[in-house]
Amino acid sequence: MDSHHAESGKAREAFRAVTRDVAWIAEAPKPHKLWVAVLGIALVMFAIGVYSIYVLVTTGIGVWGNSNTVCWAWDITNFVWWIGIGHAGTLISAVLYLTRQQWRTSINRSAEAMTIFAVMCAGLFPLLHTGRPWFAWWMIPHPNDMQMWPQFRSPLMWDVFAVSTYATTSILFWYMGMVPDLATFRDRYAARGERLRAIIYGTLSLGWRGSARQWHRYERAYLILAGLATPLVFSVHSVVSFDFATSQLPGWHTTIFPPYFVAGAIFSGFAMVFTLLIPARHLFNLKHIIKDEHVEAACKIMLATGMMVGLAYGTEFFIAWYSGNLFEKFTFINRAFGPFWWSYFLMVGCNVLIPQFFWFKKIRRTPVVIFVLCIFINIGMWFERFVIIATSLARSFLPAQWSYYEPTRYDVGLFIGTIGLFFTLFLLFFRYAPIIAISEVKGVMPEAHAGKKH
Amino acid sequence: MTESHDHDHESFDGGGDADVEEGRLFGVLAEYDTPGELVEAARRVRDAGYTDFDCYSPFPVHGIDDAMGIKRTILPALVFGGGVTGTVGGLLLQWWCNAYNWPWNISGKPTWSIPANVPIAFEATILLAVFTTFFGMWILNRLPQVWHPFFRNERFNHATDDAFLLGIEARDRRFDPVATKKLLVDAGAISVDNVHLDPDPTAHHMPKWITAFIVASTAFALIPFAIAAKARTSHSAEPHIHIFPDMDFQPKYKSDQAMDLFEDGRENRGELSGTIARGSLNADDLFYRGLENGQWTVNFPKQVELNEQTIRRGKNRFEIYCTPCHGFDGRGMGAVPTRVAAGGGAWQARNLVDASNPVAIDMPNGQLFNTISNGYNTMMGYAAQIPFADRWAIVLYVRALQRSQNASLEDIPTDHRSDMQMPEAPSK
Amino acid sequence: MSALTKSLHPDEKYKAGKIGQSLTKIGAGIAVVFLAISVVLGATHGDHWKRFLYSYVIGWSYIFSICVGVFWLVLLHHLVRGRWATVVRRVAEAMSMAFPIVFVAGLVFVIPLVAGYTDLYYWAHPDAAKCLVPAATGCHEYLNPTLVHKLGWLSPGFFAVRYVVYGVLYTAMAAYFHKKSREQDDSGDPNISEKLRVASGPAMIVYALITCLVAFDVLMSMAPKWYSTIYGVSFWGSACVGAFAALGLVVLGIQRTGRLTHSVNPEHYHDIGKWMFAFTFFWAYTAFSQFMLQWYGNMPEETVWYKYRLFGDWQWVSIAILVGFWAFPFVFLMSRWTKRIVPSLVFFAVWQLVFHWLDLYWNVMPSYDWLRAEHDGATLVSGPLTGATALHHVGFSPLDVTVWIGLIGVLLVGFGRNLRGNLIPVKDPTLGMSLAHENL
Repeated sequence: MDSHHAESGKAREAFRAVTRDVAWIAEAPKPHKLWVAVLGIALVMFAIGVYSIYVLVTTGIGVWGNSNTVCWAWDITNFVWWIGIGHAGTLISAVLYLTRQQWRTSINRSAEAMTIFAVMCAGLFPLLHTGRPWFAWWMIPHPNDMQMWPQFRSPLMWDVFAVSTYATTSILFWYMGMVPDLATFRDRYAARGERLRAIIYGTLSLGWRGSARQWHRYERAYLILAGLATPLVFSVHSVVSFDFATSQLPGWHTTIFPPYFVAGAIFSGFAMVFTLLIPARHLFNLKHIIKDEHVEAACKIMLATGMMVGLAYGTEFFIAWYSGNLFEKFTFINRAFGPFWWSYFLMVGCNVLIPQFFWFKKIRRTPVVIFVLCIFINIGMWFERFVIIATSLARSFLPAQWSYYEPTRYDVGLFIGTIGLFFTLFLLFFRYAPIIAISEVKGVMPEAHAGKKH
Repeated sequence: MTESHDHDHESFDGGGDADVEEGRLFGVLAEYDTPGELVEAARRVRDAGYTDFDCYSPFPVHGIDDAMGIKRTILPALVFGGGVTGTVGGLLLQWWCNAYNWPWNISGKPTWSIPANVPIAFEATILLAVFTTFFGMWILNRLPQVWHPFFRNERFNHATDDAFLLGIEARDRRFDPVATKKLLVDAGAISVDNVHLDPDPTAHHMPKWITAFIVASTAFALIPFAIAAKARTSHSAEPHIHIFPDMDFQPKYKSDQAMDLFEDGRENRGELSGTIARGSLNADDLFYRGLENGQWTVNFPKQVELNEQTIRRGKNRFEIYCTPCHGFDGRGMGAVPTRVAAGGGAWQARNLVDASNPVAIDMPNGQLFNTISNGYNTMMGYAAQIPFADRWAIVLYVRALQRSQNASLEDIPTDHRSDMQMPEAPSK
Repeated sequence: MSALTKSLHPDEKYKAGKIGQSLTKIGAGIAVVFLAISVVLGATHGDHWKRFLYSYVIGWSYIFSICVGVFWLVLLHHLVRGRWATVVRRVAEAMSMAFPIVFVAGLVFVIPLVAGYTDLYYWAHPDAAKCLVPAATGCHEYLNPTLVHKLGWLSPGFFAVRYVVYGVLYTAMAAYFHKKSREQDDSGDPNISEKLRVASGPAMIVYALITCLVAFDVLMSMAPKWYSTIYGVSFWGSACVGAFAALGLVVLGIQRTGRLTHSVNPEHYHDIGKWMFAFTFFWAYTAFSQFMLQWYGNMPEETVWYKYRLFGDWQWVSIAILVGFWAFPFVFLMSRWTKRIVPSLVFFAVWQLVFHWLDLYWNVMPSYDWLRAEHDGATLVSGPLTGATALHHVGFSPLDVTVWIGLIGVLLVGFGRNLRGNLIPVKDPTLGMSLAHENL
């Protein structure tokens, strides 16, 4: 009897510890000083973005470096980059769930939040690059006195549907996953007599009781959502790649684009997750929940997806030669040795060579190094999109059209602004929401099977 | 021993809960130490025939569905239905918009391009399936329900932290205040509490202010829709509100505006004297004016090919521009004279084919051309509407009309003459 | 969802015993009979073995693809420290050990190619070689610059060299994973699992590279001017559908002999079915991407490939593949029950194996007619759109099926030879978790 109680007591203590270690961040009366400092920086960056948007909207997209030749540049580069970053969140929450990778539970909540914030940043760019964002509602099919309908054969319309479906699904998935943890917050505040917070979290948790009959449907729904989010995440970045690949521009029109973009998206997304979580787990004492093994597993995924991206680079080059298409061949030679050679080598260096460090276990276990490598990968994946978009456009069919692209301060300002927005939202999330999926972590602990007869 | 043991709780005898301050008994709530014991207890409760019971845990406990005998949810079937609706709806939307209601050629693609419709049909499938999953799950779970009687029990607070609870409701037909508790204790409960409803019956309902808030905010949210609905069904003399002036108001001059820059104060500038605009020389008298050596020509210029195609073109133009007055047969009783006659007046256009008064028949081609170009009596000139070549085509057609309207049976090829004996010729 | 484990059932029969030999005998019988029929049919077909070799390339790609897919499961299982598949991994390893036999069987079309047979691959035709000479006369119009520059890559000699390299690499990798796994049966050394996990990373890279290249070389070069960067990925997707179907059937077959009856249960079939479902979707995704992008881009050098598949008789084959290889199984495999109920899983496995073959057939066989026609002087313009429908006649021959079945016999020999000793990795550290595996 004593040993039984010792065991059960230990199990309960372990569950309580998880709750406490996550909840304290939201419950702490004062935020961490570093948190305040970073939030301040993020807000300043966001303000720069707001100013850039103001100038852009009141003047027109002529304030950007885009030209007739390079008609898509930083705007679409940033769009693809952000949306790609978002994909890691869905991968972690859905694909790794379906493949029963239990280590995901420690990071899936923050990765899902990252998805939503990244999609918000991404959405800004297509909206703004139209030059007249106030007509965005034309893209929604609705009866109108212009007697017009959206043009559904355009990949840009596919984008509208894909990205908005993705945003909706991500938010619902994230929220649904959070409900049991919001109920945990509710009960903690209720127990402490903080009525206002208990009411807020209580409303958000919809009155969740953790009943087995509810859990049954909840788990089933979670599995289905994961099953739906998996093809969705494939489709979203595939549709983004269709924006390019349906054209006839050499360097854009190639059939490997859909899976290649998806792999790249996951690659860059993981890099961003760990750019955020490596400092965060240190700052908020979460190393026993977001364990070194989890970081290591992510390093391996980055290695694998980096290799996939590398394979796609190679395939593109091989087929550019194999096809015998002169324009195709020129485009690829131009990428590597043309005026944008520096961006090409940044891309290959960061995306193919940098991940090779992850072969070494020692590096996979050194958070500082991983953090630095992740930043390189973020940069590399940004340049991948830049290389695809800008270099292909700058050297299209007619030499008379050729030009070079240089960003203006408003290009840079808007990009900085989205980074500021992203960090602002992420920091707020970290302060006020259950940043770890408490119930999921408990469910995969060995203690979850305490007292079972085998 | 765990924390929960430190709380005061009622004894297990089942009789100590006749507290006057409490309301009706809602059920009993038992706490177990570990997930494993909860599963075993659930199995025993179910075996004892209880149905209105549930287990509460901070995470889904493995094997509890089996132990409680929970039937698999119908959610997947609902989601499948939602997904199929999305696919069909997505395809229909694209078909209706792009192929039916507003067919429009885009880069030579068929108006209904199924390959190009796949991505959106797919996204619509996912979206509707996701909505069905998300909302279906909450509806099946009867949430949101922000209040439940078990929340009155302090232990229940820990169901989202570290506690494993089993609650049996008093409405279960096997419920017995003593036996039920004994069953739970025998199953290894570390505590069993009675849970009562609030003695105040008003507490069983949603507070009025919440209802009022929901109603008010819903009504408020409908205001924009009401404004839009009103705007769609009423007229206004006011111009549109331009939130974004865009390019509608530009600092530039439009035709026939006043302008201080020139002496005459006009923005339009006339042609300079002694000049001809590029492409307007029209030196060929025959083609452009119908003159040959200063006389109306009886021929056709060489630019006009005398063939059936030109006649058909002329017929087509004639029927557009000339028939309102001259009529389809050229006899001068078109729609306009007919209407004049109906109003009691007497005016008709020139009969172009009248052999008894052959003014138009005798006119040289050049004069007919000139008449079309510059008008005659009350007829205005059509130079602005009808290009030169088309005017000649009309002349040619008028000639054909004159011939056909005055034709005799001999003019018809012998093998077609029998066609003329049809009893009823079409009236047009 | 849990880290529960179970131990091997004491009554479990996990020794292969004689089933390996029996399977080898059955396979050899099928191979001998059907290949003999095929040889007779091929000799009498009256086109100098061309039809026979075309069918042979399809059949070879088929058995190769199954090995490729099964071996991928082995690699992935190690790479991600998989758990559920441990009980079927030995069978998968034994199946992937068919690589050497498959590559030997492939010599039937590689040797004639090297020996100067010109009708199988257009790039091996003497017309093609003529064009390598600058300003050559007699160089056919078809051989415009989009083909000439790669005749070095697509030359019989280099092709054969690559073929041998592929064969050696696949065999070496499959043998390593098979051998080490059996070593663990004896020694029970958990370090072997770790070793294999480390090896699976580089192996996966080599595997991805050469699988793409085999698809380019053997299948895509059938239409030598056409190209698609996703082709290798798409082939691999199709291969994995077939491979998981085949794995399910082989494991079920083994269970029918009374072996593995306690270890492999509906939970594992459920997972095999899930993978089959996932790859059905993945294949459709890659095939759609390839089709839609080329259709949308509408560039003649790309659409020509689809032109010969979407008109005339071939359009019905295309529709059959769309419905049969994707829509029908996709809708039904969504349900958990189709994957857990054995007769239904068997039905869909057999179904997908047939349609996987049809998919390869559809990839290769249109080249049989149109290349000849173009070579004989029919230009690209005379096509289905101008009424020359004979080119788009499917022209089904019994050879297509007899060669296919004969080569399946060869594949079974390859499987059977290695179904020996233990049928499950009895000392694998993850075996307990695999045995206790449960789907949510």
